[in-house]
Amino acid sequence: MTIRVDRMTSSNVAIRIRGISHQFGEEGDARHVRALRDTSLDVARGELLCLIGPSGCGKSTLLNVIGGLMTPTAGAVEVAGKRVAGPMPRDIAFVFQENALFPWNTVFENVNLGMVFQGVPRAEREARAQRALEAVGLKDFAQHYPGQLSGGMRQRAALARALSLETGILLMDEPFGALDEQTRMILGEDLSVLLARADKTIVFVTHSLGEATFLADRVAVFSARPGTIKKIIKVDEPHPRKPDFVTSAKFTAIRNELYALLHDEIRKTVAETSAEPPP
Amino acid sequence: MTAVRPWRRALRRPWVARIAVIVLLLSVWEIAARWWVDPIFLSPPSRVFASLPAVFDTRGVPAALRITFWELAVAFALSVVIGLAIGLAVGLKPFARRSFMPIILLLYGTPQVTILPLFILYFGIGPASKIAFGVSHGFFPIVMTIVAGVQNIKPILLTSARAMGASRWQTLRYVVFPHMIPSFFAGMRLAMTGVLLGVLLAELYVSTAGIGYFTTLFTQNFDPTRLLGLISVLAAMAIALNEIVRRAEVHFGRWHTE
Amino acid sequence: MTPPGNEREGRLASRAVQATFLIALIALWYLATTRWRVSPLLLPNPVVVARDFWHILKTGEFIGDLRVTLTELAAAFAIAASSGVVVGYVISRSQYRMRVLEPLFAGIYSVPIILFLPLYVLFFGLGPASKIALGATIGFFPIALNTIAGFGYVDKMLVVAARSMGASDVQLFRYVLLPAALPIIVTGMRMGFTVALLSIIGSETIASLAGLGHRIVHLAEGMEMAPMFAYIAFVVAIAAILNALVSVLEARGKRP
Repeated sequence: MTIRVDRMTSSNVAIRIRGISHQFGEEGDARHVRALRDTSLDVARGELLCLIGPSGCGKSTLLNVIGGLMTPTAGAVEVAGKRVAGPMPRDIAFVFQENALFPWNTVFENVNLGMVFQGVPRAEREARAQRALEAVGLKDFAQHYPGQLSGGMRQRAALARALSLETGILLMDEPFGALDEQTRMILGEDLSVLLARADKTIVFVTHSLGEATFLADRVAVFSARPGTIKKIIKVDEPHPRKPDFVTSAKFTAIRNELYALLHDEIRKTVAETSAEPPP
Repeated sequence: MTAVRPWRRALRRPWVARIAVIVLLLSVWEIAARWWVDPIFLSPPSRVFASLPAVFDTRGVPAALRITFWELAVAFALSVVIGLAIGLAVGLKPFARRSFMPIILLLYGTPQVTILPLFILYFGIGPASKIAFGVSHGFFPIVMTIVAGVQNIKPILLTSARAMGASRWQTLRYVVFPHMIPSFFAGMRLAMTGVLLGVLLAELYVSTAGIGYFTTLFTQNFDPTRLLGLISVLAAMAIALNEIVRRAEVHFGRWHTE
Repeated sequence: MTPPGNEREGRLASRAVQATFLIALIALWYLATTRWRVSPLLLPNPVVVARDFWHILKTGEFIGDLRVTLTELAAAFAIAASSGVVVGYVISRSQYRMRVLEPLFAGIYSVPIILFLPLYVLFFGLGPASKIALGATIGFFPIALNTIAGFGYVDKMLVVAARSMGASDVQLFRYVLLPAALPIIVTGMRMGFTVALLSIIGSETIASLAGLGHRIVHLAEGMEMAPMFAYIAFVVAIAAILNALVSVLEARGKRP
């Protein structure tokens, strides 16, 4: 299923981002940081959009703004026709990088608790939880505690929790960032398969060029801080993406383009951070 | 291959060695008490142990032990309740914590034993003052561990709950409270130590029917046998109570990580 | 994220609450004894207490009791520190001894050793000796336990590295074991000092003829509330000063 992004109408825009700027602290303050600069973007319904950029370029900040966890200093985000003014648990679910599962609950209890918070009636919760756990391949580990699971399995559980909320939008903040390369690869492939079946809009923050190229329908490349979108690259390849896509010429070309765009921004970020006086 | 003597092999296990050390100490005590020290000052363990029934037969001792145990139990229960109430009141609101924790820490750091006479003046010489003094030692660790437990919740857990639409009450019930439980049990373990110290100190200071009365009596009568017997019983009680709370902490106070 | 301006305001607000709390407490105390007619046998007038406190300081009548208490403390701590460090070091030299004795020491320490005060009084009498003995006994354990931990859990890698460079036993002790163990031992000493001080004041309160704890009891028995409150404040102040001194020494001792 290819997303016709060139014909975006208001009916198939899931997230409308307009003029987002954000700064931390006051002007003149020692800890003043301009995280985002005038960022605008439309995210189509059902697409997987990756945000990629150097450290500190504001991609996580933008994700938090989209999800209503942060109020931007300027600009607005519109989701499902409403302006985002706080968390919207019926429409938006998060998957964080790590440690977001409650360690005193089993995997099943964690998934169940998300639905309790959202307000899903008791009768539906069990079925939804089972479906979500099955979808991520954790059916046999439902009674395990997060401390007993590997990093990859914990992130599967976090994903199951987000899926069980049956929201239209999924925001993922470097969900595989704390995992080793091999686990990332497996999880990335599984995610692609899973999302081909589901009809979700996903905004996915990552550091990894390969991951962005493999998973995304579009990749938004950020500049160095204060971040703004430098360029949006389209990845025209149907989902679910096969493992051999990674070795194809198309993949290499896109990845190379991302590399070229990012390299200077990364260098700029490193130069800036080493020039900054220690706190 | 030289054969290792069986007792050498047994001693390799630490718990066997520990018992051997205790036996050794008891033997030294026995010998010292029998041959080196004037019997009005020290009594050998054999005689102490043999006289335990006599201690219990002494009129008022069993009742005194019961009273002391009751004082400990009530003081502990009150410490937990008061500590929980204050700990939650202070810990859940960052402003309250910043304002009142320094005062609480200051109070905790003062040598409470200086105001023991005051407690007696205000609460009398009966069990009430012992309980009160025990509570004043016991509720501090609970307050501190609860405040610490609430404070070191990883922010991402709270963010997660907020993103999923948890109400304030749901966050308290499903995130803050479960997170706090291990700290709470650790606090209870420390509270038991404090309560033991407070109640026993007060008992030793002044007592008309509690064990403090009898320790004074046996001391003034130069009766080391019964004194040691009574102290041993109390020490055993203290060890047992500590062990109960410690086991509770191990059982309930951890999340199932492997 | 709290904007930095708000943070500063927040801190000032907390300080304001603390100050108000303390002022309110003192005000209530004053009102209780003057306006609301609380019996001076129950609660003395704060002004009288302050006057007595100043009187105690000016006339130096505290000297006798202070000297007794401090001598007992010094003796108890000296005994506890020296024996604790030596015993702790000897135990730490052997894994076996550590495994057997460390839990034993920890177990004994978990019992309120103040229980043995009557025994010490029986044996040593009501004089300073019993206080010193009890203080030394109680102070011994944290020092010994921390010495065991300090020397016993030195990172093996450091020892291996030093040995591989040819360090002798004496050099190993002086340049590796001692510096590694020192911070932990110093902490143990601070704990031992605090605990010895508390036990000495406690045993002076319970069974003594002299010393600061005894002075307070004496005043309590005579229902001399104002001087008693003054002495309580005095002892709290002395304890605070001593603890502060010890904390400073601890920080010095831990400096690399």
